[in-house]
Amino acid sequence: MYNHIKEIVADAEKTEKPISELIIEQECKLSGLSREKVWNKMKYNLETMRAAVSKGSTGKGVFSHTGLTGGEAIKIKNYREKGHTLSGDFMMEAVQNAVATNEVNAAMGVICATPTAGSSGTLPGILFMLEKKLDLNEEQMIRFLFTAGGMGLIIGNNAEIAGATGGCQAEVGSASAMGAAAAVEIAGGTPAQSSQALAIAMSNLLGLVCDPIAGLVEVPCVKRNAIGAGNALIAADMALAGCTSVIPADECIDAMKKVGHQMPVSLRETGIGGLAGTPTGQAIKAKIFGKDV
Amino acid sequence: MENRFKSVFDIIGPVMIGPSSSHTAGAVAIGREGNKLFGGIPKKVTVHYYGSFAQTHRGHGTDYAIAAGILGFTTSDLRVPKAPEIARKRGIDIRFVEEKGESPIHHPNTAILDMTDGHKKVQLAGCSIGGGAIEIRRLVIHDIVVEPSGTLPIVLLIDPERKIKNQRSLTSFLQQKAPFNESRIYKSPDYYIYEYDIQNYFKPSLIGELKKKYKNIVCL
Repeated sequence: MYNHIKEIVADAEKTEKPISELIIEQECKLSGLSREKVWNKMKYNLETMRAAVSKGSTGKGVFSHTGLTGGEAIKIKNYREKGHTLSGDFMMEAVQNAVATNEVNAAMGVICATPTAGSSGTLPGILFMLEKKLDLNEEQMIRFLFTAGGMGLIIGNNAEIAGATGGCQAEVGSASAMGAAAAVEIAGGTPAQSSQALAIAMSNLLGLVCDPIAGLVEVPCVKRNAIGAGNALIAADMALAGCTSVIPADECIDAMKKVGHQMPVSLRETGIGGLAGTPTGQAIKAKIFGKDV
Repeated sequence: MENRFKSVFDIIGPVMIGPSSSHTAGAVAIGREGNKLFGGIPKKVTVHYYGSFAQTHRGHGTDYAIAAGILGFTTSDLRVPKAPEIARKRGIDIRFVEEKGESPIHHPNTAILDMTDGHKKVQLAGCSIGGGAIEIRRLVIHDIVVEPSGTLPIVLLIDPERKIKNQRSLTSFLQQKAPFNESRIYKSPDYYIYEYDIQNYFKPSLIGELKKKYKNIVCL
């Protein structure tokens, strides 16, 4: 099993195979399942993601039981139709997909955790935008998920992917780094550029705290996935342009782990500090759960 | 290096009902392991929460998730949010306790399940490590405390014969079919328990094979 980013990049260069292929081979070996079974499992995850994006972007959208989140993917969709977005239509399409997915999650709909439910919008955000922009077929989209997942495995085994142990940098930060690396591959970049994109994306979200209001995966989680998707695209573009990270990817992952462990408990998914601790955050919590909590 | 995450589908997946992979999908997984260890649905379950679980279980739907797991539901089962009602209708008593102290198994996402049907008593201490993946760090069966390294899969053989040849047979079977990192033997006057930390996820057919070959085997 690949334990470090540098190992998988070296192997990809040596064998002249894309990272996605090495991860598919690794999965077949680890699980004992046939290539076809492994492929179809990922296809099912892709279909789940597509359904969530579509559900959150159709009609009036979806709304959570608390009313704290919902309907904003539709606002973005309507805004895009006017054609005056500041950051560009593709960027806002990625943001719309990301928000749609996390609105579905907050409304207790069906999603695919990538790597977590709180960060489930980041990868679909960019993937379904790239599908249109790069005219991707299903095979390419499934490969995108294998590359992203393989990078996530290395992150999870060397650092953290849970907000309670690593803050939001471990969730949306990891998702964004995984997405950046996979976007580079799908756009024709090299494995080394994927590694650079991962390092840049992770560095840019280092220190991000997990501070959900009332402990709900709604605020700020839904909008955090917008920045996860946007950051992934920026990092991928920078890596494709030839920009490099001074700190190697594996060391960025180690840094993420250390920063996570240094974060106070109040900023690690306890609903105590950060935005959760603001007067408005506390008032919402009291309104939802009563004053005794 | 022992890897906590063993499959690309630990990262891309599970397909689940929201809102949280660690506090909802992971909690379903802890409940499911409780069901497997108990050998079915217990009559009474007391769930002790520690750390982030104690602070945020209500907002994350952890209660219904654990209940769903105890009932044997999967993470994507649309009945997950209705699980406490379904459990009540089936006469199962599930209670949740927010504990103030440190987690006895040293993780902020800890749930300890005390399960009983009046005669049998079993405890399972699990933690949710992210993305729906969990670890089981302590079990109490027949008053014997078992402490695996945590990462799944875990194989347990409860041996009322207390014959070490049974342990040897299982050990050599596993060495061939499902290599393990560590194994431990626990003894009491009435039972021996053999525990194995398995390296990779089971191949689909293997659990059936193990259950056929060994009575009282538990595959977590």
